[in-house]
Amino acid sequence: MSAAEEIDWAAKNYLVVDDFVGIRQLLRESLRSLGARNIDQASSGGEAMGLLSRVRYDVVLCDYNLGDGKNGQQVLEEARVRNLVNPSTVWLMVSAEKSVESVMGAAEHQPDAYLIKPITEGVLLTRLNRVWHKKQVFRMIDQAYAEKDYLRAARLCDARIGSDKLHELDLLRMKARLMEKSGQPARAREVYEQVLEQREYQWARAGLAKIRMANGEFEQARQMFQSVIAENKYYIDAYDQLAAAYQNMGKMEEAGAILERAAKLSPNSVPRQRNLGNIALRLGNVQMAEKAFRKCIAIGEYSIMKTPDAYLGLARVCGQKNDPKEALQLLLVAQREFAHEHPDIPLRAKITEGLVYHESGDYRRARKAGDELEEMLKATAERPDTATCLELATLLFAVGVKDAPVELLCYVIRNNHDNPLLLDEVQQIFEKARMGEEGMAYIRSSKKEASDLMNQGVLLWKTGKLAEAVEWMRNARKAVPNNQRILFNAAQIMVSHMQQHGHDAVLWAEACDVLHHVDRLLPGQQRFAQLMEQLAALQPEAA
Amino acid sequence: MDDLLADTPPDTPDTPDTQDLFLFLASTAHDMKNSLSVLSGTLERLLVTQSALPAPKRESAYPEMAHMLYQTKRLNDNLMQLLALYKQVGQPDYPFDLQPVELGQLVEQVVSIGRVLLQSRGIRLELDVDPGLIWHLDEDLVVGVLSHAINNAIHYTCDTVRLAIRETEGWLELRVEDNGPGYPPSLLKAGAIATREAASGVNFLTNSAGLGLYFSSKVAKMHQHRGRTGTLRLENGGAYGGGCFILRLP
Repeated sequence: MSAAEEIDWAAKNYLVVDDFVGIRQLLRESLRSLGARNIDQASSGGEAMGLLSRVRYDVVLCDYNLGDGKNGQQVLEEARVRNLVNPSTVWLMVSAEKSVESVMGAAEHQPDAYLIKPITEGVLLTRLNRVWHKKQVFRMIDQAYAEKDYLRAARLCDARIGSDKLHELDLLRMKARLMEKSGQPARAREVYEQVLEQREYQWARAGLAKIRMANGEFEQARQMFQSVIAENKYYIDAYDQLAAAYQNMGKMEEAGAILERAAKLSPNSVPRQRNLGNIALRLGNVQMAEKAFRKCIAIGEYSIMKTPDAYLGLARVCGQKNDPKEALQLLLVAQREFAHEHPDIPLRAKITEGLVYHESGDYRRARKAGDELEEMLKATAERPDTATCLELATLLFAVGVKDAPVELLCYVIRNNHDNPLLLDEVQQIFEKARMGEEGMAYIRSSKKEASDLMNQGVLLWKTGKLAEAVEWMRNARKAVPNNQRILFNAAQIMVSHMQQHGHDAVLWAEACDVLHHVDRLLPGQQRFAQLMEQLAALQPEAA
Repeated sequence: MDDLLADTPPDTPDTPDTQDLFLFLASTAHDMKNSLSVLSGTLERLLVTQSALPAPKRESAYPEMAHMLYQTKRLNDNLMQLLALYKQVGQPDYPFDLQPVELGQLVEQVVSIGRVLLQSRGIRLELDVDPGLIWHLDEDLVVGVLSHAINNAIHYTCDTVRLAIRETEGWLELRVEDNGPGYPPSLLKAGAIATREAASGVNFLTNSAGLGLYFSSKVAKMHQHRGRTGTLRLENGGAYGGGCFILRLP
């Protein structure tokens, strides 16, 4: 290690995961010769999870291929999602050959490094040291990132980029990502171009293409993603993005074909199989949809990434194959397996049930499902996400229910009163239900309702009545919980209040909650990044 | 529907049979890798223990053990190269992974891989590298190629192997040289064939060095930058007048 301080590898806690006892012994010997004393071993993914939930490890050496049960990637994902490893934990993934996954670049949960067998002590030590130093360089940046203070994180990157040649590329990549997260695509583009001036890195080329796509330039984005794939046919992320570009252009056939190729190269991704299934369903390709959803369920069995979408999608497939019995069976399983993390699953399962009956021509049972859905909506003020609301309204109209879908659509409009694309979609649903004129009136009045609520709060704020403005927006949020402009203005008013009247822990937490909520609804907004930065500056210790 | 990816090579046929064969090969390779890892790891450990003893106290089988390690490493290299190539020989069909790498770290790994074998054969490894220099390359591939070249040099050298890396006119030149009598004409010829543009003439069955050279030249060619492509060359000469293995990356 050149000019770097020595790291004490002897005092660390190690976990070695491999299904082959010979390899575990070999790795243990290698670690011992680095001085390591505390080395635990696991022979399967399940055993590894058990140890990870009891012990905090500094270093995990995990084989990708662990026989039956969880694979190495699934162990990593679950450990990260369940917070069983520290940000400082070094995770090295071991495999017999270079895996496609190792160059994907964009997967959500990446190990810190991949090692190819046979692992020698020297290679192990070099990679351990390298990851450790990189983690030191990124410690403060990662912390700011975790706190979603993207602008502070970007400044920390800037401060290092000129002086740290070895990590320059990693820092630039992080900075581009931060610029995207904080709604500044033009600055992200500058960073990617700066990288490409040095070398043709596919992640930078794909980054430029993603910015084009976000900008609505789908054809240009498509060409760029295709050239990335032509350069490196294993850059899987580009396939997923290319499929999204085709989808945006309305070319579902092409999108499905690309996802099918990506799924062949890298089949063990739950989200990819789910997307493929959904597109196939829209295309009416029942066979492809069934294959994708079944694969999605199979890989989800051992994965924390498993999704109810696969069960609901497969139920639709069964309906279209005239097998409502298996469809209902799947819906029961989905409700049993996902009730915990997905509180809206009973509603979504019932919607799917209605669709299955409707599509298989059993209009009596479809109507019954519609009536039950109406009852479920009456029982609570909570509403599902926008996509589910639209799906539900469409179904309810189709089976002959009238009031509930109108109420749902008005709810959607109030929460998205300045989103013209969505308003068009709502208008189309009304027209399909032969309610075009009434629909227009509903849209008009719901839009006005939302903008009146917001304008009154902003007026109070601008006339200096800050406490009243905060209270007004609090009530507005209760009436319209998911309207991003109302949410941003509510946070803005709370920040103003604290800037004038000093820090207030309760108000600060409330503003933070509001901002995180809006970031979940619509990530990558510049206003989010700015407000998070202002909010961070208001903390007493930051002053 | 138009051809979506006209620029990329076509997929291998995806019949159930080839899928099964692929899975079988992959899992067999995985198994063999494990066995080889254990074998070479155990041998290295035995050799390290033995070399700590004064010469008269060593096992009489010490030289044979060193030779076993050499052969095990050859087996492992061949397997690694086959794994990278077997899917579609003739196409650069490998998840190529470009990274900025500090040469000090690259060399550190190459040295550690060859250390026990070099020591047990009594061969000196000389280094001539700027450790702070950073280059963009696929680290696993280049470490593999250099280790393989050093294993070969061990076979041909008298008592010294030299690894020299320098930047010259926008290229990174990596040289593995030895002080032996030089490569025999047959190997130089194999090198010329293996590195030629159309490598269809390589006969792996009759030429044991062919696979390693072919693999190394593939690795060279995967490295591309601004219209320039990496090259591989074998010659006699260099610092000691012995065999030279020269990899140049853009």
